[in-house]
Amino acid sequence: MSSMFAVTRLELRRLFVRPLAWVLAALTLAQLAWRFVLLLGNFLDNQIKLAALPGGPGYTDLVGVPLLSSTLTVGILPFGLTELALLVVPLLTMSSLAGDRVNGTLPLLYASGLAPSKIVLGKYLAVLLWLMLWLVLTVAMPLSLAHGTHLDWGKFAAATLGLLLTLATLGAIGIACSAFASLPAIAATAALTLGLALFTVNLAAQKAGVDNGLINELALSTHLEALLRGLVSSSDVIWFLLVIAVALTLATRRLAADKERD
Amino acid sequence: MTLPQPLLKLDQLRRQRAGRPAVERLSLTLDKGQILGLLGVNGAGKSTTLSMIAGALRPDSGSIQLNGEDFLEHPELARLIGWLPERAPLWPELTVHEHLVTHGRLHGLRGAALKPACDAIVQRLELTPLLRRLAGVLSQGQRQRLGLACALLHRPALLVLDEPANALDPVQVASLRKVIREEAATGTAVILSTHLLAEVTAVCDRVAILHEGGLRHDAAVTDVDHKALERTFFDIAMNDGRNQAA
Repeated sequence: MSSMFAVTRLELRRLFVRPLAWVLAALTLAQLAWRFVLLLGNFLDNQIKLAALPGGPGYTDLVGVPLLSSTLTVGILPFGLTELALLVVPLLTMSSLAGDRVNGTLPLLYASGLAPSKIVLGKYLAVLLWLMLWLVLTVAMPLSLAHGTHLDWGKFAAATLGLLLTLATLGAIGIACSAFASLPAIAATAALTLGLALFTVNLAAQKAGVDNGLINELALSTHLEALLRGLVSSSDVIWFLLVIAVALTLATRRLAADKERD
Repeated sequence: MTLPQPLLKLDQLRRQRAGRPAVERLSLTLDKGQILGLLGVNGAGKSTTLSMIAGALRPDSGSIQLNGEDFLEHPELARLIGWLPERAPLWPELTVHEHLVTHGRLHGLRGAALKPACDAIVQRLELTPLLRRLAGVLSQGQRQRLGLACALLHRPALLVLDEPANALDPVQVASLRKVIREEAATGTAVILSTHLLAEVTAVCDRVAILHEGGLRHDAAVTDVDHKALERTFFDIAMNDGRNQAA
């Protein structure tokens, strides 16, 4: 177990000394802060009108949740944290295993006696910690005004859980793509394509005239939408956990095969 | 009376690479404190053999025993091995110090044991001026020294060195030989893969010649002088080549 954490520390160190992770964090947080200000301005402009509506949308619906995702409200700016994550997570995970393959350092990890599953989990944990920090900094924006407004804590917690699961899923897909790819750029492209496909598979099918339960069940957006609306159901949570488990299992099998096949 | 068991025992090791046999039914043993020189032309199977011994590559068949235990069944035995791969692969974003700490942690060194181990190896391999330098900017010779430091850090029982003298200047080669001899004197077994016959006669007490994945010669170095070893090596390399052509 402790050697697995050694991999996590190694990966975290690599993430934090690379300018890419910092640049991504700075740019995306700046964009999200700008989005927060615009959403807040819009909310304040319409506050009196909205207060007159019985059961009308409040601070959580118009500022908190739209900051995390524009799935429910396309609105003022197209990119919430979810949409940014589709691009950022592949860039973050692309080097985790494919980079080791390019450097020739993957055999050093095998030669430490670590099982492939522990190498994959160690790397995944590091990515997850970075993504959680990113999420915490984003969530801190609407929370900073929580004392002066009425925040629906339950709904916001459900939306945050949805984002956490979405980031964890995209991270696992990124790690799997990095395990299979020979070069980081290929890993990033594959993870971006898979993430987008998983997110929009139902929209594409609906455009093609197919709209059934199975296609909707396959789509990440279906399960995220429910959580963004404040509905936490075990089937949605299990869907995310299943995708994570499948992606990490595939990555583990690929590393094990690497050792067998060279 | 039972004979002491060897530290390392390879039995009928086989491994294919790129669709052709890279190592073919290789069997050999190595005792504590012994220095084995592994000679062979390019593609003879030296690096593949060492990768399997280090646990980075799994053999297709055969067994590897370390201290009498099956290494393939117990991968945690990797902690007994220190491996310097060819060209010393490193993480370019990490400093020399971070490499040492990471290798220590990966090989089970923790807390109070880690710092003294790092300090000792830094002192021994004269890495102090490089400690804060990123691995990505090191020269090839400095990379080799760092790779060797990582391999020695956790005091392995078996040291596996793949062409360690590559890119080292004569002074560094002399200090490498000194380190190898000191390790063997403390009971560490050493396998040294090299192209250089002089390297084998200078530090090894046993030589094994690999050709086309098979073991063609295994003898104590005291039994042969440099010229005789050279003759044997060229005989194996050239005659086997001719036999293949015929």
